Amino acid sequence: MQGPDVSWYLIVAALLFSIGTAGVLLRRSPLIVLLSLEIMLNAANLALISFARMHGDHTGQVFALAVMAVAASEVVVGLGLIVAIARRRLDLDVDRLRVLRG
Amino acid sequence: MIAGAWICLLAPLAGALTITLLGTTISRNTAAWISTTSVFAAFGGSVAAFIGLLGREHEERQVVTSAWTWLATPNFKVDLSLLIDPLSLTMMLIVSGVGGLIVLYSIGYMDGDPEERRYFAYMSLFVFSMLMLVQAANFLLLLVGWGLVGLASYLLIGFWHERPEAVAAAKKAFVMNAFGDATMALAFFVLMWQTGSLNFEISFEGAQTLSQTTVNLVALGLLGGAVAKSAQLPLHTWLPDAMEGPTPVSALIHAATMVTAGVYLIVRAHPIFELAPSISNLAAGLGAITLLLAGLVALVQTDIKRVIAYSTMSQIGYMFVGAGLGAYSSAMFHLMTHAFFKALLFLGAGLVIHHLAGEQDIRRMGGMKTVMPKTYIAFLIGSLALVGIPPLSGFFSKDAILASALASGGYGQFLFILGLIGTLLTGLYTFRLLFVVFLGEPSPLVREHTQAAQAHAGEEDASRPHGEPVHHGEGPSTMTWPVGVLAVLAVAGGWIQIAGLWHPFGHWLDSIAFGRDHIDLVEPTVTQDYVASALAVALGLVGIYVAWVFYGARKRSVPRFEGFQEILEHKFYFDELYDLIFYKPAVLLTRGLRRGVEEPVIGGSISGVTAGARETAGAVGGVQTGYLRSYALVIALGVAVLVVVFVSVQ
Amino acid sequence: MGDFLVWAIWFLAAAGCLGSGLAVITFTNPFYSALALISNLGSLAVLFLLASAEFLAAAQVLVYAGAVMVMFLFVIAYLGDRSEGVRLSGGPNWVRIGAVVAATALLVEVVVVIGLAADDQLSDTAEIQRSFGSPEEIGRLFLTDHLLAFEITSIVLLVAAVGGVVLGSRSRAEDELDEAEAARAGA
Repeated sequence: MQGPDVSWYLIVAALLFSIGTAGVLLRRSPLIVLLSLEIMLNAANLALISFARMHGDHTGQVFALAVMAVAASEVVVGLGLIVAIARRRLDLDVDRLRVLRG
Repeated sequence: MIAGAWICLLAPLAGALTITLLGTTISRNTAAWISTTSVFAAFGGSVAAFIGLLGREHEERQVVTSAWTWLATPNFKVDLSLLIDPLSLTMMLIVSGVGGLIVLYSIGYMDGDPEERRYFAYMSLFVFSMLMLVQAANFLLLLVGWGLVGLASYLLIGFWHERPEAVAAAKKAFVMNAFGDATMALAFFVLMWQTGSLNFEISFEGAQTLSQTTVNLVALGLLGGAVAKSAQLPLHTWLPDAMEGPTPVSALIHAATMVTAGVYLIVRAHPIFELAPSISNLAAGLGAITLLLAGLVALVQTDIKRVIAYSTMSQIGYMFVGAGLGAYSSAMFHLMTHAFFKALLFLGAGLVIHHLAGEQDIRRMGGMKTVMPKTYIAFLIGSLALVGIPPLSGFFSKDAILASALASGGYGQFLFILGLIGTLLTGLYTFRLLFVVFLGEPSPLVREHTQAAQAHAGEEDASRPHGEPVHHGEGPSTMTWPVGVLAVLAVAGGWIQIAGLWHPFGHWLDSIAFGRDHIDLVEPTVTQDYVASALAVALGLVGIYVAWVFYGARKRSVPRFEGFQEILEHKFYFDELYDLIFYKPAVLLTRGLRRGVEEPVIGGSISGVTAGARETAGAVGGVQTGYLRSYALVIALGVAVLVVVFVSVQ
Repeated sequence: MGDFLVWAIWFLAAAGCLGSGLAVITFTNPFYSALALISNLGSLAVLFLLASAEFLAAAQVLVYAGAVMVMFLFVIAYLGDRSEGVRLSGGPNWVRIGAVVAATALLVEVVVVIGLAADDQLSDTAEIQRSFGSPEEIGRLFLTDHLLAFEITSIVLLVAAVGGVVLGSRSRAEDELDEAEAARAGA
């Protein structure tokens, strides 16, 4: 294979994943949280593609495509939720939205 | 014959069930007659069985008939079977015969009572239970009958359940009997364990090979039950209180039949008692002490029924003396004659009480002879029979026991002396009662009721206490007729066995002897018979004379020994003693347990569980902060941990 | 030369990827974050290409960057300016520290795993055909070996579409709120 080994791709994927995790945990706006979630999913996709390349098996790419479809669905639902929250004049603040508490 | 036995047992049960199931759809009178008919049907059945048994040879007079196998385990089997032999037949005839007469009497006595149906259902239930007790062919069925009889007694003593005294008396009777039941059950356990069966024949056989201690334990347990049921010392305090029940109940259960079950048990289980002579002697001793103590206490009683109750206690003491010393046929003979004259006395007393609208205090009575002459004669007959004046029945039976005591060695002779003292006391308290109630001028109370009865003759009157009906002379025929029959029996009942001359009764019972020809262990000589009889009659007459002096026509004042009087009036303080020994510690124990165990531990653990659950829920609930980010953090940390786990485990 | 070019492109793409990723989580304005994500996706597409996943790269650009992110931008535009005051704002302290810890832990773990577990294995890359990563191959797999995944994914998309419509429709509560506000504005 030309270029870096699979391990390099994987390191990038790992870094992207942790960046995404940090974004999910540290930001207050649900929009940004959603975006960070996308980053995490893409990191996983990258890992899948890399392994597919490594094994010469298309299964990883098929799986990545499925992940992409699911991610799209999830974004739809998430954005729908955010729009609904905004419509009801509530704060788009993850820390304020805590009605479901024990 | 077998059909007769089954009819005898089941007719009263059918009567009780019919009355119960038909409930208020039948009139009270119909219920009364159903019950009476069922008991007389039982009598008919027992007569049939009697005739059948008479037709058999002497040796073949033990018939066992089984309905089905009740319990069957590899080691132990019990059938639902009845034993028809002379002993059980004697009891069957007495129970159903005297019982029938008493139930008939109750029709008049309980007429008008709003709960009459319940009464008659209970009476039929009692007769059934008692018959089951005496007809059982194994100890287990006997125990069933024993327990049911106790139940029927409880129900009937507490019949007028609005009276707290009646309820308390019923509970007292039941609890004391329960103690006896427990000792009996323990005896049965030992017997079952050691001999493998509760069948009479087999367990008696097996008992021959047991150790002395084991046999003593079994006999002691049986004696405990007998003592409780027959109201002997030390389990005697329930019998006087049981007089709270209606008079026919007192006549049937607490004079003629149930309290004699203890004597029956001893005679039935005589092989076991003979293997444990110390326990037999104990039984005789207890009987002797009881007869003295009861006789003494009866001297100061003022309730007409209680005098007769203590008299019953005393006479059963005689039977225990007889049975304990091995004079089984004499004990059974006295059981029979006692049933006659004691029922007669109770029913006669019932006639008096009935006439006086429920009054039972003899101090308010007097001169009843002029008012109720026929009752007076009946009562006189009963009293004479009780004291043992010839040629009435009590003479033959009581003196047979005394003669056997005389013939039983040193210990027996000591008991003989006690028994003689007892006859003196019997004469004294019995005729005290007779003279106080019947002789002299009619008391104000008597006059008042006699005038009222004469004024109301012919009217219907339904609103008296306990619903007494109009007084037709001395009572309706349903009440006077049984009294008459019993009077005849009290006179002639003893002629079935005359010491030294002819012994058909003793011979009849010889068939049940286990392993020998004659049932009795002792045979008094003719001399001993006559000596005993002469002394007993003489002392009885002395007692009557003393009673005449103090309570008869001239009415000298009774010498009062203050201290002794106190003791007698408190019935030798037995009630107080039991209260101190048993009741108060029990109350303390239960209170202590409630405070120390029930509330903190049991109640506390339950409420502790709920409190703990609530606190835990509250604490766990703190995890749900509502912060989205804290949830996400936990997920992230969890994933981090899991990665490590998966990697290390590979 | 070819190899060097590949390495250079790879590094550029990787740098773009990570940089834009950091940008996403650090910008305050969500609009800018979304734009940063688009560039992130684009860099990733380049990386996909370098890993012989042509179809997926195309799908990434068309679907992800093209459709999904555009939808994101629409919604952000609809919501208006919601710049946050403070970036890493609020929340209890332990959450912030815990977050950093968690992220770092994950990173370290993955790197360690990669380093330890399969070092020589990761160097063996299989030989592939030129058609590797082509639509034809992926399509064939989807419709034969992984048919179930295909179907389930389609159901998920359907559910999401329906859900989106339901969530996005106006509710009576909102109507009342609007009326109340209009009344206040008018009065």
